[in-house]
Parts: sequence; C-alpha cells; structure tokens
Amino acid sequence: MPAMIGPSHYIYVCTRLRARKAKLIPRDEYIRMLNMGLPEITRLIQETTYKREIDELSTSFSGIDLIEVSLSWNLAKEYQTILKILPRPLQHLTSSYLRRWDIQNVLTILRGKDQGLPAGRIKEVLVPAGELDRALQDRLLMEDTSAKIVEMLKGWRLYPVLSREFAEAEESGRFARLENELYKKFYADVVADARAVRGGRAFIDYVQLEIDIRNLQSLFRLRAAGEKGDLREFMIPGGSVSVEELQRLSAIEDLDEFIDAMKTQVTERPLLALLDDLKQQGSLKGRSLQETEIVLTRIKLAQMERMSKAHPFSIWPILAYLELKKYEVFKLRTITRGKEANLSPECIRSYLVM
Amino acid sequence: MVGPETAVMTVEMIEASQLGTQAISAAIAISLTGLSTAIAEYGIGSAALGAAAENRDLFGMGLVLTAIPETIVIFGLIVALLILF
Repeated sequence: MPAMIGPSHYIYVCTRLRARKAKLIPRDEYIRMLNMGLPEITRLIQETTYKREIDELSTSFSGIDLIEVSLSWNLAKEYQTILKILPRPLQHLTSSYLRRWDIQNVLTILRGKDQGLPAGRIKEVLVPAGELDRALQDRLLMEDTSAKIVEMLKGWRLYPVLSREFAEAEESGRFARLENELYKKFYADVVADARAVRGGRAFIDYVQLEIDIRNLQSLFRLRAAGEKGDLREFMIPGGSVSVEELQRLSAIEDLDEFIDAMKTQVTERPLLALLDDLKQQGSLKGRSLQETEIVLTRIKLAQMERMSKAHPFSIWPILAYLELKKYEVFKLRTITRGKEANLSPECIRSYLVM
Repeated sequence: MVGPETAVMTVEMIEASQLGTQAISAAIAISLTGLSTAIAEYGIGSAALGAAAENRDLFGMGLVLTAIPETIVIFGLIVALLILF
C-alpha cells in the first residue's frame, strides 16, 4: 500500500484492527459450541473467517486434523497480513513480537523428532508466523536427527543459545531449560529492539507486562509443584520486579500475603491494576493452578484492552488484536480437541480463557 | 523629522485601509476554518478508510462522517462573505 504521511497511517491501521477485532467469534458462540457435536462445530467454524483455509486444506487433511491445521494456517496468515499493512516502526515492533512463534516451532520440531513423531504430525501444530518461514520449517522437518536441525538453524538469531543448551537438553531428554533460556534471550532482544525504535516505550510497557505475567505464572506453577529452592533460573529478567525480588517473594507461604508483598514492589500501573484484579477475584487459595493461570491470562487481556483504549493509535490495539486472535485459535482448538476426546462441556470450559 | 502634513489621512486612505482590513479578516476566517477542516478530516478520513477496508458496508457511513467537518469551513465562508459584503 502507498506510504502515508504522519499519524494517518496509525489511525488507519488501528481502526482496521479494531474492525477485525469486532469480527472475532463472540463469547456466546463458544458457549453454544460447547453443547454441539464435532461435525456441527466444524460446520460453524467453516462459516467464519477460517473458511478459506478449511477449503484449501480439505484435500490433504480431514476431521480434527483439518481443523487443527486450518486454525494454525489462518493464524499465521493473519499475522503476516497484518505485518504488511503496519507502518514501519510498528512493523518492526510487531515482527519482534511474532518471533516468539519461532521458539515454539523450533521446540515443537525438536520435541517431535525426539519422540519419533512423523513429520506430518509435527507439521500440523506448527504456526509459521515468525521469521522462520514455512519452507525452512519443511526443510527442518525433513531432517532425521535433532543435531542436523540445530545445525540448519545457524542463521537464526537465537542460534547461539540453542547450540549452547541443546547438547544438555538432548542428553537429558528434557527441553525445559533450553526453552527457558531461549525465552530469556528472546525477551532481552525484544526490549533491546524496542529501545532502538522511536515510540517503542508503549511496546516495552507491554513486554514488561508480559514478563511479569509469565513470572507470576511460573511462580504459581512452582508453588503448586512445591519447589522451594533457587527459582531464579526459571524467572525472566526485565519485568517490573527483579528476579532477586521474585526469589525473595516466593518464600512467602500465604498467597494473599504474597500478592500484598508484590504490590509494594511494583510501580507500574498495569501490574498494580492486575494485582488488584487478582485480589478482587477472591482468595486464590481454593483455585487450581489451571484456574489461576486462566485468571492471569484473562487479566492480561483485559489490561491490554484498557491500554488500547487509553492509547488508541499506538502498538496497544495491534497487540491486543494479535493476542485475542491467538486465544480465539486456542479456544477453538481446545473445544474441538476436547470434543474429540469426549470431555464434558464443563471440563472443556474450564480450559477456555473467556 | 516628519512634518505635520504627512500625518494627515484622507478619506480615501481610510476607506482603502478599511477595505484591506476586511480582506485580511475574511482571509483569516476562511484559512483557519479550512485548516481546521483539513485536520478534522485527516483523522476521520483515515479511520473511515480503515473501517471500510475491513467492512465495505461502512463506506457510506465513513463518507458521511468524513464530510461532516466541511461544515466548519462553510461557517468560515459565511463569516468571510459577511465581512466582505
């Protein structure tokens, strides 16, 4: 599209994404889907924006696999379309946001290969939304061994971390540490990139919010697992609360007390609002880990929505849409997979971020 | 040193000066309202285009909304005409 001068491009893009957001599947539809059978859900999904992908892929896939691949392809295509219409500074920030998918895809391929899954099965769950495009992913899938896959990723910006941690991961068969290290480097790179761009402040605020949420999720997970020792290696630096402080806070036994202690540490409004919301949800003591995580995600999305209204022509409406679209795909995937596994509607609903 | 004869203004000079002031006032009225309209339409137009790109049904509504700030420049035009005539 022709280059626009001044903020008009921001106004154009943010309004466009607002209009796209209005087209996302509403909450009531998910509730209806919970009471439907798999063929009906497939038909319903086919009537929405996923129609083109389902039609395109129906010759190669069928049933639940068709839905799964169509959802992934649609998500990737949507991300790439949005990247094309964004003004340059926002394009730069958004593409660095989308690079997280590379980590997910690489780890999916490595884990899949490690477990001896066929390339077709692995490909179904890949989302080619980052820098590593579909052609490269196909080439990676063709490789027989994980070592060769790592070797092929030499040009990737996270390759130094991957090559450093891969040997240990392969030996132990556990990719958790590799994943942690990749994400730590990813977030450090994203913040460094945002600092170099004019107007990157709003994006850094978002990244901080996300790091804080991730650290909180990790803390809740570690608490649930009864982990008490040094938790610093599981935490991502760069959030509004330092890793050392998180380590100190993790020693507090009572969850409400823990939130109060955390509130004294943070100065950023989004996180304070988030902690307030978290407390207003009632005591977290009775909640399962999964429920707590869903609450955290819901609060994050609500916070993003609030920020996108406060800064209507910034990166916030774009990120809010990208996140909501991602969760739409997650929800549809959860419902279809849950239905296929004959789970009850209540059980499936407990996994949905609504 | 300016002599007293140079400070005297004739009726013709006063009339010409009034006409000049009127013309400048009319120009200010039309140009400022024109600029304001442009600024308003710039934002509304971009947003309308964005909305219409996603949903063609919104094109008509966008066009109407984009044209609404034209009223500002029409007010300016009326004021300018009243000043001049």
